[in-house]
Amino acid sequence: MKEEIRTLLEDLLPLVDFDSDFLFSELNSLDVTTILMSLADKYGIKLEAIDATPKNLKTLDSIVAMVERKLSEK
Amino acid sequence: MKVLEDFLADNARLYPDKIAIVCGMETCSYAQLHERVATRAAAINAPKGSVLLIRTSQTIDFIVEYMAVHLAGCVAAPLEKDTPQELFDELGRKLSSYSVPEGIADVLYTTGTTGKSKGVMISHRTIIADAENLIAGQGFSHDLVFIINGPLNHIGSLSKIFPVIVLGATLYIIDGMRDMNLFFQALDYPCQKMATFFVPANVRMLTQLSADRLASYAEKIDFIECGGAPLAHADMLELCRLLPKTRLYNTYASTETGIISTYNYNDGRCLVGCLGKTMPHSRVIITPEGRISCQGDTLMSGYIGDPELTATVLRDHTVYMSDLGSIDEEGMLHIGGRMDDVIIVGGYKVAPTEVEDAAMSFHGIKDCICISAPHPITGNALKLLVVMNEGEKLNKRQVALYLKERLEIYKVPMLYEQVERVERTYNGKLNRKFYR
Repeated sequence: MKEEIRTLLEDLLPLVDFDSDFLFSELNSLDVTTILMSLADKYGIKLEAIDATPKNLKTLDSIVAMVERKLSEK
Repeated sequence: MKVLEDFLADNARLYPDKIAIVCGMETCSYAQLHERVATRAAAINAPKGSVLLIRTSQTIDFIVEYMAVHLAGCVAAPLEKDTPQELFDELGRKLSSYSVPEGIADVLYTTGTTGKSKGVMISHRTIIADAENLIAGQGFSHDLVFIINGPLNHIGSLSKIFPVIVLGATLYIIDGMRDMNLFFQALDYPCQKMATFFVPANVRMLTQLSADRLASYAEKIDFIECGGAPLAHADMLELCRLLPKTRLYNTYASTETGIISTYNYNDGRCLVGCLGKTMPHSRVIITPEGRISCQGDTLMSGYIGDPELTATVLRDHTVYMSDLGSIDEEGMLHIGGRMDDVIIVGGYKVAPTEVEDAAMSFHGIKDCICISAPHPITGNALKLLVVMNEGEKLNKRQVALYLKERLEIYKVPMLYEQVERVERTYNGKLNRKFYR
């Protein structure tokens, strides 16, 4: 799933380094919205503004963990 | 004539303990802000009339610096925080060779049709006229808390400081909308009335990701101004539904014209493309060819160091815009397309030639064109269509990173596509109309 998410997000946000350990600090509001909306669409999960926390978006691994958590709550 | 810093001094005397600015955990009362500005101004050791570059930040320190430069008799030139150092230094060298007319407060940088940065000179009179336009046109008030979420070097956000300081209201600064929870935290600030300024992408993200939460603040949000680019009708209707009592404005404004007209689209009609009636300090005239032209105290004083360029836009106390428009029977301004090739993304003007010139120097790119393409969040985005040398494949990440090193971030396209060829006219020029 990690590589699938990486491919999806790198295609949408070519300027973002998804290998960064400080991913959230690299993102702007548009990047955050793009990430949440595209993941919600791709995996059929509900992602809201409240999910856009620095912790959930700290690294690609934390994004994957957020998606997995949302999928398990479905 | 009273300038912004005079109003600050008045309010420091009238409402010393009132909170002027909130930023994260930091607050600053009017008395403290006045004191900090005066202390900083005294330390500025530059001849009067000098243009001083400021790297913009979403902080109280930035506001202090901005007003201190004015108080020291100098001119503030706020630049985007991630302006490449090379560009920052080059502008600094250029600015030191210019003299500015008396009464100039700011030099704000914007992009022209050629992609060359233009320094728009804004006078102290213009600042106060913008403030008074906003107070009369949108109902800024003393008890209002205004949330600034956009970059303070951009007229859309910078101009909101003006009515807030004039009225002794409160400014609440957040660093973008990346963490939307901080925006909602701002809305929790203990007060009766709040307002903010959004670009279309902000509206899309809030309506898509936080509609119910936004609606829960319906009683508290006094007004929202939307600007920078046209808002999609669906988003306008959705905001009206979520915030039925809130005044929702679409505004005609630019760095060159100042704040000109505004329309509350939460009026039951929700007219698309309508930018309302002109504000007290402004007049709009539509030229015979349909071009929007503006008059009044909010106009710029010219482009710094470039009287020839100034004369192409500002003549006879009138700024001629590249926007096409009309005025209806109610006296409301409606905007149409543009006369030039400039693409507006997220409130910023981008000259496609500047992007193309930078991209053409990337190894392997044979030809390219920068166009405006639909985007699900921003409404539109820059797209680079690229023809690669034979046998080479486009690596959009590499191109994007290459462009990021050479251009301001908002000029770097979000979308890329490798194509066989780009359309040109019979005389070899890029056929931009083909892609519209």
